[in-house]
Amino acid sequence: MSNPSTPALAEAAPTRNLVQFALRLREAGVVAFLVLLGLAFGLLNDRFLSVQNLTIVASSAAILAIAACAQAVVLITRNLDVSVGSMMGLAAYLTADWAANHPGVTPVEVVVIPLAIGAALGAVNGLLVAYGKAPALIATLGTMSLYRGFTYIYAHGQEVTSSRVPRWMLTSVDARIAGVPALVLVAIAVVAAVAWFLYAYPLGRRIYAVGSNALAAWFFGLRSERVVFFAYTLCGLLCGVAGLLYAARVGTVTVVLASGWEMSSLAAAVIGGVSVSGGSGTVVGAALGALVLATIDNGLVLLHVPEFWRMFIQGAAIVAAVAVDALIAEAIRRSTGGRRR
Amino acid sequence: MASRAKRQWPFWEIALVVAIFAAGAWSSTLSPYYLSVDQLFSSTRAFIIPGLLALGLAVVVSFGEIDISLASTLAVGTVALSKFSAAGAPLSVAAPIVVLICGVCGVFNGVLVAKWRLPSLAVTLGTMGAFRGLAFIVGSEVGYTDFNDAYSWLGSEYLFGGVVPASLILFAVAAIAVWFLMHRTIYGRRCFSIGLNPDAAWFAGVGVIGVKIAAYALAGAFAGLAAIVWIGQYGSARGDNADGSILFVVTAVVLGGMDINGGRGTISGVALALFLLGTIRNGMGLANIGGPTQTVVLGLLLVGGVLRPAFAAALARLRRPVESADAGA
Repeated sequence: MSNPSTPALAEAAPTRNLVQFALRLREAGVVAFLVLLGLAFGLLNDRFLSVQNLTIVASSAAILAIAACAQAVVLITRNLDVSVGSMMGLAAYLTADWAANHPGVTPVEVVVIPLAIGAALGAVNGLLVAYGKAPALIATLGTMSLYRGFTYIYAHGQEVTSSRVPRWMLTSVDARIAGVPALVLVAIAVVAAVAWFLYAYPLGRRIYAVGSNALAAWFFGLRSERVVFFAYTLCGLLCGVAGLLYAARVGTVTVVLASGWEMSSLAAAVIGGVSVSGGSGTVVGAALGALVLATIDNGLVLLHVPEFWRMFIQGAAIVAAVAVDALIAEAIRRSTGGRRR
Repeated sequence: MASRAKRQWPFWEIALVVAIFAAGAWSSTLSPYYLSVDQLFSSTRAFIIPGLLALGLAVVVSFGEIDISLASTLAVGTVALSKFSAAGAPLSVAAPIVVLICGVCGVFNGVLVAKWRLPSLAVTLGTMGAFRGLAFIVGSEVGYTDFNDAYSWLGSEYLFGGVVPASLILFAVAAIAVWFLMHRTIYGRRCFSIGLNPDAAWFAGVGVIGVKIAAYALAGAFAGLAAIVWIGQYGSARGDNADGSILFVVTAVVLGGMDINGGRGTISGVALALFLLGTIRNGMGLANIGGPTQTVVLGLLLVGGVLRPAFAAALARLRRPVESADAGA
């Protein structure tokens, strides 16, 4: 540490490999856990591993995967968004309301409106956190109640029933392409697009750079405000997608749609190996985390376990995932000779 | 330097007091019944439960961590109380044990955050779900309402000729105790020093881990006290008790001028912010403003409170030339 001479530089190469290995291990761990979980539920209940049930699991994981992906983008910048559920709810409600009051609504409108609303709501969060320098938790806790409150006020306690929205909106998500629900395909496409964007585009790499070391990113000349603002806007946009899919799936849109999803999305992202201290993890991992949660949910229902166990398991899973994350970080630090504070 | 420090006015606290009076004046125009002693005292009951949680949270925030699991800890407390009540245990036995149980919940958070160095937000988000799930698992989905009268005394009794709620006195005592702890004891200075610079505090010999765990334990114990008040006010124990009230608690702490990154803030500010929020909520209730609008107002206040440092910095930038001229003269 005290003597940064050439030998230390020579050691840098294996270190990087180790870090990459650990990260790869993190996602492999999620997959291994998923397989184990599947086998366990399969042994306990023979209906679990049927194609029909696995399709149900995948469909219910699909929307959460997009929400987790949205959360992951913000988490990677070392921030947090607890308004995810409220953004989904507001985007979904306004879209469903628009579709219900405009009989000749076109598919383009139905897709563009929630995306625009989501992006705008995300941009507000981004303004507060990136330019207002507000702590992410507090700012988004505020907007969480703001957005949900607006939904209530706008709705006057009314819900948009499934009979009022266009038929095609509801049937399109239930459509199957080669036996796979369209919902799952959309989710895979969205997650893949975001993953590719984060992996291959300069702005995507900057999101990682800002999250892993803000000071270094600043010295490098990155405008971290812009990057964080963009991350929040992308998060809002993805929440718009998730909200639209949710609305189309359930049909009847209520004001409490997707409440509590901030917690589920965070749980999925953290379980999938996205570090809350920023800079590491992938959106694919977050999507896998969503699949883990959906599997647990489905398995518990099949095993007739009371619903509130889910809350406990989900919470415990977050704590466990965070602890594993810290253990990996500690191992990396020790192997690279870094000093523990 | 010392004289400068002495001349510093607690501007934020003064602003809060002004805001409380403004909110009170606004409320008194809404209803002729607002300005009665009975009404004023009993309206304070609305913020005693979140107030106790906020006092505990303020200690945790003073060193830059957070605990959003406190409302869930309260639910653990109420369910534990229901078990004691069902077993026929007297409150004098049940209360200390429940406070202890909630304190242990806090210690669990504290160990994970301080000893294992996990990010407090993620940990307490996890335990927020886990504790609430635990409360449901222990207490089942059906609420318990058959509390005997001794259990509800603290939350429902009025003292001094039936005017002052007993829980308000509990809150006042707790607030003064926390104020003393944070502003007049070594422990409090250590908390703020960790918040300003954890490394420097560690080098100065502050037992960072112990201080943090103690604060989490204290916050948990306060949630236990709040659980006892809850039983008196609502008479029902269920896993979803106080669900969602953490927004009010965090708003009070932030609006009270506690720096969420630690190191700055006063307990008196938090107490004043609680009075302000309570007055606003009471006024909106009198004005028949619905729950959703109240939530929006709460959210706006939170966002406003959190942008305060940015505003203050901008103001300071505007005022700087004037101040330097002052110093020169």
